[in-house]
Amino acid sequence: MGIKSFSRARAIHVMLVYTGGCNGCDIEIVNSILSPRFDAEQYKVFLTWNPREADVLVVTGPVTHLNRKPLEAIYEAIPEPKLVVAAGSCALMGGVYKNIHGDIPSEEIEGPVENIIPVAAKVPGCAVRPQDVLAGVVTLLPTLLDAD
Amino acid sequence: MFESTVLYSILAVAVTVVICFLISTLLPGIERKYIHARIQQRIGPPVTSPGIMAPIKFLYKKNIKPSSPVPGLYKILPIVCFLVVLCLLIALTPYAFAIPALASLVAVVGLLKVEEICYVLMGALSKSIMSVRMPFPDRVKGAAHLNTTRSFIEDISARRSLRMITYGSFPMYLALFAPVTQARSIFLQDIVAYQQAHGPFLFTVAGGIAAIVFFIGYMIILNEYPFSIIKAKCDVIEGPYMEYASKYRSIVFITRGFLMFTLGVLFSVLFIGIPPTIFSPTILINIFVVLVFVFMMGIFSAFTPVFTNRQLLPTIIGATLLGILAIVLGLL
Amino acid sequence: MEEKVPRSNIIETEIPLGTVHPAALEPYRVRLFVEDEIVQEAEITIGVNHRGIERIMEGLPVEKGNALTEKICGICSNSHVWNSCRTAEIGLDIEIPERARYIRVIMGELERLHSHFLYLAHGCETVAHETFSMRVFYLREIVMELLAMIGGNRVQYGCPIIGGVRPRCDLDEAKLLRLKTDMDKIEEGLTGFADRFLADSILISRITGVGVLPTKQAIRLAVTGPTLRATGVARDLRTTMYEYDDFDFNVVTQPDGDVKSNLLMRVLESFESIKIIRQAIANIPEGKVVNRDWEMFDTDMIESYIEVPRGTLYHSYYLESGRIRHCIIRTPSMANIAAMQYACIGDHITDAQLSIVQCDPCFTCTDRAIEIIRR
Repeated sequence: MGIKSFSRARAIHVMLVYTGGCNGCDIEIVNSILSPRFDAEQYKVFLTWNPREADVLVVTGPVTHLNRKPLEAIYEAIPEPKLVVAAGSCALMGGVYKNIHGDIPSEEIEGPVENIIPVAAKVPGCAVRPQDVLAGVVTLLPTLLDAD
Repeated sequence: MFESTVLYSILAVAVTVVICFLISTLLPGIERKYIHARIQQRIGPPVTSPGIMAPIKFLYKKNIKPSSPVPGLYKILPIVCFLVVLCLLIALTPYAFAIPALASLVAVVGLLKVEEICYVLMGALSKSIMSVRMPFPDRVKGAAHLNTTRSFIEDISARRSLRMITYGSFPMYLALFAPVTQARSIFLQDIVAYQQAHGPFLFTVAGGIAAIVFFIGYMIILNEYPFSIIKAKCDVIEGPYMEYASKYRSIVFITRGFLMFTLGVLFSVLFIGIPPTIFSPTILINIFVVLVFVFMMGIFSAFTPVFTNRQLLPTIIGATLLGILAIVLGLL
Repeated sequence: MEEKVPRSNIIETEIPLGTVHPAALEPYRVRLFVEDEIVQEAEITIGVNHRGIERIMEGLPVEKGNALTEKICGICSNSHVWNSCRTAEIGLDIEIPERARYIRVIMGELERLHSHFLYLAHGCETVAHETFSMRVFYLREIVMELLAMIGGNRVQYGCPIIGGVRPRCDLDEAKLLRLKTDMDKIEEGLTGFADRFLADSILISRITGVGVLPTKQAIRLAVTGPTLRATGVARDLRTTMYEYDDFDFNVVTQPDGDVKSNLLMRVLESFESIKIIRQAIANIPEGKVVNRDWEMFDTDMIESYIEVPRGTLYHSYYLESGRIRHCIIRTPSMANIAAMQYACIGDHITDAQLSIVQCDPCFTCTDRAIEIIRR
């Protein structure tokens, strides 16, 4: 393991972008990082609110119409290598808001997140459990470490 | 003979600076892991993560052109900051005493001022995505005040750092000049010599008061909570540093730890009379002083909210009055 | 105190914040109009979260619609299902078993606890007091585990159904015992936190007099919930709800309407919630938890108001051959948005987000089609 991978494994900056949905995933994720019970920092995962600092972008929510451009802009602002974790069933497949209509498309929902930015890991759950989010970020590690 | 002394001095300075630099990279980790996390009853990150691994990681990230009207200048500023801190540390080593222009309080104050002016420039030049540039249709029909000028959050930050230059750093500079009243000289050499002859300035009444003022000034210069108005998370997010990515952000990270170390050393030179040199066991005292400062700052910042002007002004005025008191006591 | 009025004539610059911002966990845009860092006017733009829930609910079978209301909000999810079921129960004249009523109250109060703890933690985080925020999050975790124990999930519990509560949410002896012991733990932790919080003179001086909402203005803006009670008006819908008939609790008020009053309000109200839960555990009757003995028929418009952690929640719909028609949902934050815009006038920018947070915003709840009717 080179110094590059070594250092990357020891400092992962996560940024959270919340794109609609019900707020549940969002609070669970912030909770997983802020609460001393889960304390993501012990796994070397740091929360940041500056896209220039982030390595991993955690996206929750089904990406509503007004959220599409901010999400794209924030994704653009993150320097390479960057990875996206889609957390929660809304981010994975549009959730109940997109799918309850059956085949009729929803005009409000632009998601899932995959349609807008490339997604590297998907964390299912409604709402996601903090443990699962941490596991999701950690499963990304091999991809992140080997990126140039 | 002269050449060999110069060569020896340069070598000694280099070794001292490198050792100090290596220790300084641990300081943010110590603050985060052993103080903040301990107080918050959690495990916290590994000691090496915030100060060493994060900068190395940023080195390996691809750089992006920062969104700034003058990207070149904006990118140079963290390097300037780092060099300023480096100069400051070199000025404090006993080998620099041979150059009176550098090893004097005027130079120290000047270097710290450069550091502060860099914050103003950084804030003014950074135009991040998080406020005005966020693509959101908020200036539409029916919205209030469509013709006002729009300001980036970093502009507020720049204005605040300007305010910090005008009055925020008073306590620091008053505390720096308190030892002068005893030693009757602004040259570090004389201050150190005086204290080695008459005992540390810290253990006099004036010195004790000045040390408190120095600590407040230390936190203000480092922009640590509660004085972190230029990078308060609840409005300006990261303030002047918003647009730095990859190696420039890495320099920003390193500079912070290095400045923590250098200011601690500055205290031990001015108040205890021990300049840092690797060839003397007294460097352990320097490191001890640095750690004490980091611990005190960590405890203080973990238990305080961010201040606004309403709390900041009285605190700074109080600290300034204390500083004046220390100087007056010193003169008597 | 005088009513706050925006001073549009001295605005110098506009500072837009959002839609992603550390102090605002939800996406919304706020434009602060400032004069030398003092906010003179604020404009909050919502609609970022608009998912068209009422539109989706149109024509859904009522049971499915109820399940969907839970997805309106991740913080007060139980309240939405509860009120949606309650609406149908009022319209269809369904008798609810006593035991189910008690379990609904327990769930409602647990949710109030977790919402208030989230508020306290978020408030402390916004004044950048990370330590206090973490301590509250630590307490909140106990409540979250209790909710997961009863409902089976940490956020969306799906507890109420038409006619009672879901049978899996029934409380057996072991669960009641755990509820009881954890209430003691929470009370102890919260008392410790409140003592520490009030003894912290730096923090108290920082939040006193910030984001004041005058009483008169609060009433005029039709503010609801704890935000209203923190301005000194004792108005709580729980006193009129039949579910709470058997319970003895006080309506807490605070005098000032500033951030300190609001934070204290939440702490004191949490103690009342603990009291209610304890009474419910002690007196919970035996029997069925769900009444399946009802028939569907077409109804006129049915309305239901309940008190949720953030204020008054309103649901209404028509039932037509078992399907929902013309659903309208009005959430407490809807009324409180105006309060947020006024509360931050005259404060520093650093306090602006705090003043918004003090009104306990939940824009995910609120984002829906709005028609303002001027009378």
